[in-house]
Amino acid sequence: MEASSASTPSSSVIFYDFLDRMRNPASLDLVRSIKSFIVSFSFYASNPENDSKKVQEFLTTMENTIRDHPLWADATDEEVDSAMEGLEKYVMTKLFSRTFPSSPGDTKLDLEISEKVNLLQSFLKPEHLDIPLVLRNDASWLLAEKELQKINAFKAPREKLLCIMNCCKVISNSLLSAAVSEDHELAGADDFLPVLIYVTIKTNPPQLHSNLRFIQLYRRQAKLVSEAAFYFTNLVSAKTFIVELNAKSLSIDEIEFEESMQAARLTKESIPNESFSTQEVMSTSQGHTDPSTSARRREKQTDGGLNYPYMEAEAGELTVKDVESLLTLYKDVVTKYTTMCRIVRSSSKTESCAPHLEGTTDLLTQTESDTENTNHKGV
Amino acid sequence: MGCSASLPDRSSGRLVGANSDNGGAPDAKNLRVKLVLLGDSGVGKSCIVLRFVRGQFDPTSKVTVGASFLSQTIALQDSTTVKFEIWDTAGQERYAALAPLYYRGAAVAVVVYDITSPDSFAKAQYWVKELQKHGSPDIIMALVGNKADLHEKREVPAQDGIEYAEKNEMFFIETSAKTADNINQLFEEIAKRLPRPTTS
Repeated sequence: MEASSASTPSSSVIFYDFLDRMRNPASLDLVRSIKSFIVSFSFYASNPENDSKKVQEFLTTMENTIRDHPLWADATDEEVDSAMEGLEKYVMTKLFSRTFPSSPGDTKLDLEISEKVNLLQSFLKPEHLDIPLVLRNDASWLLAEKELQKINAFKAPREKLLCIMNCCKVISNSLLSAAVSEDHELAGADDFLPVLIYVTIKTNPPQLHSNLRFIQLYRRQAKLVSEAAFYFTNLVSAKTFIVELNAKSLSIDEIEFEESMQAARLTKESIPNESFSTQEVMSTSQGHTDPSTSARRREKQTDGGLNYPYMEAEAGELTVKDVESLLTLYKDVVTKYTTMCRIVRSSSKTESCAPHLEGTTDLLTQTESDTENTNHKGV
Repeated sequence: MGCSASLPDRSSGRLVGANSDNGGAPDAKNLRVKLVLLGDSGVGKSCIVLRFVRGQFDPTSKVTVGASFLSQTIALQDSTTVKFEIWDTAGQERYAALAPLYYRGAAVAVVVYDITSPDSFAKAQYWVKELQKHGSPDIIMALVGNKADLHEKREVPAQDGIEYAEKNEMFFIETSAKTADNINQLFEEIAKRLPRPTTS
């Protein structure tokens, strides 16, 4: 987004400038302290709180050193800040394997969140979070998802934080433009947070909890303030909401919620690549349909739902062109249904169903990819 | 209730947009203040802030307008500037448990209700109690009855607001984001109540 790149030099420019200065013989003293600081970590067992304290203190000390350093004589605040960004990136890249994820507990939480989100993705719709129709903006949301999805492409806390900022700014801008074009009264956080939660669920960002903790611990404290802190807090808030989420957190019938979660669990267990294959079918079938039905289908698809676009179709709307994709979906459904029956049968036969399931899962994956192949041929 | 239709209001001569934004580093003359907005959804929290930010329109002032985060610097008569960093919170019941994440570390909490909705007044009292229990002990709290232009629909008497605020040592004001009534006064009064660092 322009917010991050236009006004400030890009991350790599900052970083190469920093490395350049470090190669200057005049900065030998700085290089020595940085190296000995990094080496000092190998003497201690990793401990997130201590590690964070050490890094933060080191960065503060170094900021003062840099300010007084001949290489930065007459440097502006921006230049010093730029050097600090470079230093933060350098130090945290060196310490990355030790500091990310912070602890086995964090990894466990990451997995739990990601599995829960995976289930929610299969049925959660904007209306479950009461997101008004005028605010639904698939194109913007997709862009926001992409920004958030990038979070693991970076090791520096600043860059990870930028992914969050960019995601939030895309959402924020889409809300502002809805206020202008749709004449929707701007409702601030009442609108923003539900959309961010929805986008977070659609994204299922990798290692969400660990990433947030890492930024909290290692982003320079002076920089985790103001707007950055606000958007960061919102993602922490979205994560907390997702962790605590149950039927009561959503506008959904409790039984429907439990059933949807259960169905999602069954689907995920038996057919790991379900969403992938159906989405492909969807995108190929979308090419030749009239706009009104394809729009509805696209909505279905982005809702992640069970991806059966004809559930709400009327017989009169269908054309001959639909036969092909209907047949594909029909085969898909039948395959899933029969394999599910098999699982249920085999798991009820024996007490310990686990080995059976394992065996069947492999088989299923095969059946699934077979179906996919036929799909490709068919379409 | 149409906060988006409002035009910039420059009627207040006392508050002017400051151009002394130095990118952060607060000192005795340039305060930076985290302000959190709490209140039921639909009471017009964000309208109040938008009114405030737009009313301060000045080409030299650095304004951040997001959908839920806004910052605005104002200059006071004693040549101090105050940069308000305004954190909006989602007012829907399902997000109530998340509020502490937002008001942690806030210097000011503005609790808003709608004078036409007794429910929103009850919710405001809930937020006040929450803040007393879990907020920072020296947080400055303001109670705001919004939509004061809708007097014919008023269901919460001003006196109730005044009494409740007095009992809880809060600053009380009724505002209308629609007509901009008392919007500047609200932020001006908050700025006056901020503790000043004794030396710079």
